[in-house]
Amino acid sequence: MQGARAAPALCLRLLRPPPPHYRRAPAQAYPTFQSCSSCLYSTHAAEAVLNKAGAGTVSQTISKTKFPPEESKSFAMGMFQGRISTEQVFPYPSVLTEEQAQFLKQLVGPVSRFFQEVNDPAANDSLEQVEDRTLQGLKELGAFGLQIPPELGGLGLSNTQYARLVEIVGMHDLGVGITLGAHQSIGFKGLLLYGTPQQKEKYLPRLATGETIAAFCLTEPASGSDAASIRTTARPSPCGSYYTLDGGKIWISNGGLADLFTVFAKTPVKDEATGEVKEKITAFIVERAFGGVTHGPPEKKMGIKASNTAEVHFEGVRVPTENVLGPLGAGFKVAMNILNNGRFGMAAAMAGTMRGILGKAVEYAANRTQFGDKIHNFGTIQEKLARMAMLHYVTESMAYMISANMDQGATDFQTEAAISKIFGSEAAWMVTDECIQIMGGMGFMKDAGVERVMRDLRVFRIFEGTNDILRLFVALNGFQSAGNRLRVLQRALKTPLGNAALLSREAASRLRRTAGLGSGLTLKDVVHPDLDPSAKQLVHAVDLFGATVEGQLLKYGKKIIDEQFVLMRVADAAIDLYTMAVLLSRASRSLAQSHPTAQHEKLLCETWCDEAYKRLSTSLSTLNTDGARQTFRNLRGISRALVENGGVVSPNPLGF
Amino acid sequence: MNCVRKLLLARELSARPGVLRQLAPGLDLLRLQGSSCAQRFWPVPVRSHSKFTPAVKGDQEKDGESRDGSLVPLEELFDRACKGERNKAAFTRAVELFCQRDVRRRGHIEFIYAALQKMPQFGVERELDVYNKILDVFPKEVFVPRNFIQRMFNHYPRQQECGIHVLEQMENYGIMPDNQTKFLLLQIFGAKSHPVRKYQRLMYWFPKFKHVNPYPVPVPLPQEPIDLARISLQRIAADLSAKVTVYQMPLTDILDSGKEITQPHIVGIQSPDQQELLAHHNPDRPVFVEGPFPLWLKKTCVYYYVLRGELLPPGEKGEMLDSERNFYYPMHLDLDLDRGPWDDEEFDVDEAEEGPIFAMCMAGAGDQATLAKWILGLQQNNPILSQTPVVFHLAPGPRELLAASDSEPGEEEIPQSRRAQQEC
Repeated sequence: MQGARAAPALCLRLLRPPPPHYRRAPAQAYPTFQSCSSCLYSTHAAEAVLNKAGAGTVSQTISKTKFPPEESKSFAMGMFQGRISTEQVFPYPSVLTEEQAQFLKQLVGPVSRFFQEVNDPAANDSLEQVEDRTLQGLKELGAFGLQIPPELGGLGLSNTQYARLVEIVGMHDLGVGITLGAHQSIGFKGLLLYGTPQQKEKYLPRLATGETIAAFCLTEPASGSDAASIRTTARPSPCGSYYTLDGGKIWISNGGLADLFTVFAKTPVKDEATGEVKEKITAFIVERAFGGVTHGPPEKKMGIKASNTAEVHFEGVRVPTENVLGPLGAGFKVAMNILNNGRFGMAAAMAGTMRGILGKAVEYAANRTQFGDKIHNFGTIQEKLARMAMLHYVTESMAYMISANMDQGATDFQTEAAISKIFGSEAAWMVTDECIQIMGGMGFMKDAGVERVMRDLRVFRIFEGTNDILRLFVALNGFQSAGNRLRVLQRALKTPLGNAALLSREAASRLRRTAGLGSGLTLKDVVHPDLDPSAKQLVHAVDLFGATVEGQLLKYGKKIIDEQFVLMRVADAAIDLYTMAVLLSRASRSLAQSHPTAQHEKLLCETWCDEAYKRLSTSLSTLNTDGARQTFRNLRGISRALVENGGVVSPNPLGF
Repeated sequence: MNCVRKLLLARELSARPGVLRQLAPGLDLLRLQGSSCAQRFWPVPVRSHSKFTPAVKGDQEKDGESRDGSLVPLEELFDRACKGERNKAAFTRAVELFCQRDVRRRGHIEFIYAALQKMPQFGVERELDVYNKILDVFPKEVFVPRNFIQRMFNHYPRQQECGIHVLEQMENYGIMPDNQTKFLLLQIFGAKSHPVRKYQRLMYWFPKFKHVNPYPVPVPLPQEPIDLARISLQRIAADLSAKVTVYQMPLTDILDSGKEITQPHIVGIQSPDQQELLAHHNPDRPVFVEGPFPLWLKKTCVYYYVLRGELLPPGEKGEMLDSERNFYYPMHLDLDLDRGPWDDEEFDVDEAEEGPIFAMCMAGAGDQATLAKWILGLQQNNPILSQTPVVFHLAPGPRELLAASDSEPGEEEIPQSRRAQQEC
């Protein structure tokens, strides 16, 4: 009630950035919050491609990020420390300038029309390649150079604009999406991030028009996520003017079409300090025209058949020294940054897919009659549709939140990006699955066009870091940040007088938490009063999460890495938490701006928050119990037995 | 019987007040001053002044049973009662013997002091009922003050001192008095006497300190060498996750040829941290087996051996894992939360200044062949040992305090080390 009365004033406040006093913990309280070596994954991995202001901007951003903020502004990092960092999440960011929005509106129409009228996803799927006229059309639209600066022939879109277009692609044809994504999201992203002006000038114009297609060559038969087992080598020539590249890469998207490859290979690098020569990974830009580049036949796949996936072999390829991408021996960072930067697009594509699928499901449910009633009147179908809508709303909100954060110049978005990829790919799978379920036998048939989407979607949970591995990333990155905070406290304890403020604040929040009062966090300033109950749930959940993370960290220490059962559960809870925050932010904005759909969004937000809160509080509060430990032991035992037995252990109940 | 009669007579004479005062007035004073130190050696004066009593001497000689003319009544009592073996039964017998001798229990104080001193030799220094038995020697109700003047002054100070002394010895051995002790003390000295107060103090503090040691040595210590080794190794290793492995069970077998072979036990311990440390050891550098080092568990001494490496030059330390290993998630976290803020950050239990300790063992024999078997056993979990040279730096064997245990077998019991030495 009180909230409703105060609404107008609050609504106004929502549109402004949060008051400075709200940001807890002034930066100087954390003198060495992130040491460089420890935060490989959260600091230098953080270079977003900025908007169309041109090539210069990108290099400027890179130089800017050399001085990382002392306390992470990322919400996801903060929640692992039991903090609520509202800066990136509240209010829901809108970064497009008038001009950018106008430009985007002009693009959305033609691109949508193109996919509806020209592209035929079923044909692409059965042909196992993108039809030529589609490719030609996309090139003419400029879809191959969405983020390349205009002066180099591209459209120079910001991340948000890019996400919007990718969403359209994802809605219609994921196979084409992969072709485009492998080209620009990872294929030549390295050039945008690390390329020298000469390299950019030489290659980007051709890439922007789609005359040259790019591919990203990292995976090898022996090397998935393990950088140490990369076998491809690049030996420097005696004269020092070129490198000789040898080795093979597998499952390269666009491998058969591309003329330009970003290749990662081991090179001998001399350590300046010790004079020791070590094998380190370096990134190279390799043209097919250099000679010695061959590719295998297109792979037969379950989904995304329209995209080309092939092995690529390099035999004695002579790569000029000026084609080294980034510093020599820094290939690991280059690869990681490219991957981290490409992830946000996936969530956008998944949001598009879900939008399309939901349309089909609703159309069917609204028209199909059984027992004299439309099936959408049945509770089962209603629940399915409602859940699908929530999943879509979450993914979409996350995708645009993260792209906007990146456009704002945030450097700490990796955890959020990973969460969005995990959540998006799983949500899209569930939504499509339920759509087929609603449609019944009809959905199973090729004609309905949903089974293709389902096949296409499966790979999204696998590539660019499987969801399981990304969960480890989310959890471990978070544990590292929580550990850093504890270390700061530990150091502060050594000189308690000099850090009295920090220590007393920590002690107070811990005391309150122990006493069951909550740690004093609040979202009153930033969340619309109508969503107060959900905001309280979020605050409570952050408290619980922070306490759990700290407890696990103190319990396992460094060995938390080996506790994957725990890590998975913590990662799931982290995902739920972040989704809650994102939804609260977006629904608050809609309510504050009185969007026509605001009440519907409020409903989505409340329902989702309630379920997510229950889910995560059950999973977290049982994490430390004997029951949970017993379950982990049991699971481990079952799995071991299976492996020892080489398959199912129990015999057929009939006995033969 | 004769000797008992003679003893009774001697006691009668020695306790005769007139004689005492004549012969040793200073001694009596000393006794009255209540110096416990003097009292502890009380039996000696008894012996000495009996020497100077010609009448007594004459009596003894008349009986023809004297031993060099000395009376030595109290120690003799024990020696006679034990009949060769010194155990609880013999000790109780001696006490009973004294109690039966005289209704008035003459010389009970001297007897109690002597008994307290003899207790360790009979191995009963930790037996509560023996202490109660000793307290029972005091005549009852005689020393209980009857009026306020007696209560005000130190009533029967020597007796009270003696009672306190019994309780003190109980305290020193960590024996908690029971209700019987309490009743005895009340009966002998009455409420609010010094011994009863001492008892109350004991009963106040003992329960408080009972569990003050978080790492108690089990009483009694296990006799099985393997169990003892397990306990000792777990006491040394500071890691709860350390795993004890029995590499060889003790075995004595007689071959057909009549030759006897003994197989000493080998028990080792290694923690996961140590295993990891060893796994990262450079196989070009040798590792050392060193020992034996002593470990005392109360009065028992056991010996252990360590497997250690050389102290690494500072350059080779660290760099355990390449930080650029995994494209997707960190392979190790940079935390150090198991240390308190005031801990010495430089110190690591396993990476000591003498060089990292990789494993420890206890064996029934300290020769190289036995320890080589241990290393062989370690190889199963630490394959790197098969490529690493192992150097044995063994001291000749356990030497410490063995001489003492030989000369005074009752004082130090060192079953382990002695057994170990025998097997060597």
